[in-house]
Amino acid sequence: MNQDQAACAPPVIVARKLTRKFGNLEAVAGVDFQVQPNQCIGFLGPNGAGKTTLMRMIYSAIEKTSGELTVFGLTPMVDRKLINSRLGVVFQDNNLDEDLDAAECLHVHALYCGLDWPTARRRTAELLEWLSLADKARSRIRALSGGMVRRLMVGRALLNGPELLILDEPTTGLDPQVRHVIWAMLRELRRQGIIILLTTHYMDEAQQLSDSIMLMDRGRIILSGRPQELIERHLERYVLQVSGLESRPALSADVRHEHVGDTDYFYSHTEPPLRALYRQLPQNALLRHANLEDVFLKFTGRGLHE
Amino acid sequence: MTERERGRHEELIEQELARAAQAAQPAAEPVLGVRPPQLGYFRTQTRLRTGWFWSLYGVWYRHVRVYTKTLLANAAPPVFEPLFFFAAIALGLGSYMPNASFDGLPYATFVASGLVVASAMFTSVFETTFGTFVRLVYQKTYDAMLGTHLALNQIFIGELLFTATKGAVFSSIVLGVTAAFGVRPTAWCVLVPVVGAATAYLFGAIGLIVTSYVRMINNFSFFTSGIITPLFFFSGTFFPVRGHNTVLTVFAGLLPLTPAIELSRALYKGEFTRVTLAYLAIFCIYIVICHVVSLRRMRKRLLS
Repeated sequence: MNQDQAACAPPVIVARKLTRKFGNLEAVAGVDFQVQPNQCIGFLGPNGAGKTTLMRMIYSAIEKTSGELTVFGLTPMVDRKLINSRLGVVFQDNNLDEDLDAAECLHVHALYCGLDWPTARRRTAELLEWLSLADKARSRIRALSGGMVRRLMVGRALLNGPELLILDEPTTGLDPQVRHVIWAMLRELRRQGIIILLTTHYMDEAQQLSDSIMLMDRGRIILSGRPQELIERHLERYVLQVSGLESRPALSADVRHEHVGDTDYFYSHTEPPLRALYRQLPQNALLRHANLEDVFLKFTGRGLHE
Repeated sequence: MTERERGRHEELIEQELARAAQAAQPAAEPVLGVRPPQLGYFRTQTRLRTGWFWSLYGVWYRHVRVYTKTLLANAAPPVFEPLFFFAAIALGLGSYMPNASFDGLPYATFVASGLVVASAMFTSVFETTFGTFVRLVYQKTYDAMLGTHLALNQIFIGELLFTATKGAVFSSIVLGVTAAFGVRPTAWCVLVPVVGAATAYLFGAIGLIVTSYVRMINNFSFFTSGIITPLFFFSGTFFPVRGHNTVLTVFAGLLPLTPAIELSRALYKGEFTRVTLAYLAIFCIYIVICHVVSLRRMRKRLLS
């Protein structure tokens, strides 16, 4: 599907004033967004921002309190079956059955998805191969490493050949190697035209994988757009970050300064003033490009969010 | 499935087939060394037309696999418990009343006919209270199921069918072992596993209803010690509950275990009266009510 067709095609997900309350707490507080076909959307936010609740509403695991939500033009809860047969979910927690082995876990899940026995078998074998876990087919889940479990969970979500893949914090708690393998898998799926919704609180993950980012905080979407655009629109290009500074150096006019906790941040649109500053500072300073994390912290403050 | 839903399915299937035909484009270059499996291929008519069967079967099969992986640890206690009761009470206590007739049966047979059903009750109650709670809160098993197109009812019907299977197996085991110790079953006793399965289904549903209200796993002991144990003792397992006086007979008859025991006892006696029919009716009504309520309650709990 080329860009023009993608622009004309109806949106896959539409949310308007979508709200979910738990008692008095508004976990999702009136969000509006659309997901176009052939996109990867990153939902970015701290713990408790409402990302998981939002995802759960999309795959009909929880009812909305008010507002509108359609997925593939259908209504979650009402058309649960039709919607969920076209999507796959990778959960935040490991909810594979600990006592079963890898192949059985996938096989059982394939049956849930309505594949008949022989198809489920074949599909399981194919996916284990793709996940490079064929030699672990007969290992119990409890004997697998965290990275293998996570790959298996991605594989499980692909059993029904979904058009939409929902990943809830897919790389939380994994080592860098495994994270890169998971990212490579996700990019490959993107190339096959699978729409991906990703929640994460790793900014680099969102920046690397997403076409578009929705920044969430306390149930609201506070910013959205392409990662690079967001950075350019809201921040200077360069940041110098230094901790435990005793006296503040003299600053030129084009450097903006921010002090949070024991750390000083200096922002500038060009590099030279910061480089000059860098040479003056006695401590280990870090001169880098501004990233999504800075944007995020600019909008949500640097204090703890609880 | 409603008419509207079926129409939608047909429509969807047509779309899927058209899409599958279109999507026969070459696969992307492999990144992980292996060519990725073709996606979008499995939403074919088979899955949407016969999917409900395989989904339900999948839930049942999942429980069976997990249960049988650690069979000895899971199955040994509930198999031996009723047999201890049988040894102590039917054989031990019963030996002091060799010629007594309980409801027209020798005492050992009387007790055995109750225990075949009670064993089914115990196994299913524990499965859908502690077991379901662990799956719900700790293992998040149902979350995984919610991510698929399994209907919410299917999740718990599958679970109840699994408890029914266990009930049938357990009552057969008790039937077999007590027969080895001299209890004479009639030919009708081939139906005992059916009564066992129905009992397990009923108590499985009751367990689900309780689980839907429980927030802490410790709270189950109120239910198991406060309700299930008294039911076991006062529903006619060890002494006849009919005939003391009318109020007691009616009260005992309305306890959910009594009809099941009376039915199994009728099979052991091989005689069926109008009273048996009344018990059968009560039993069926209980099953239907508990089935409906448990599905509704668990649906609410799962989506909360």
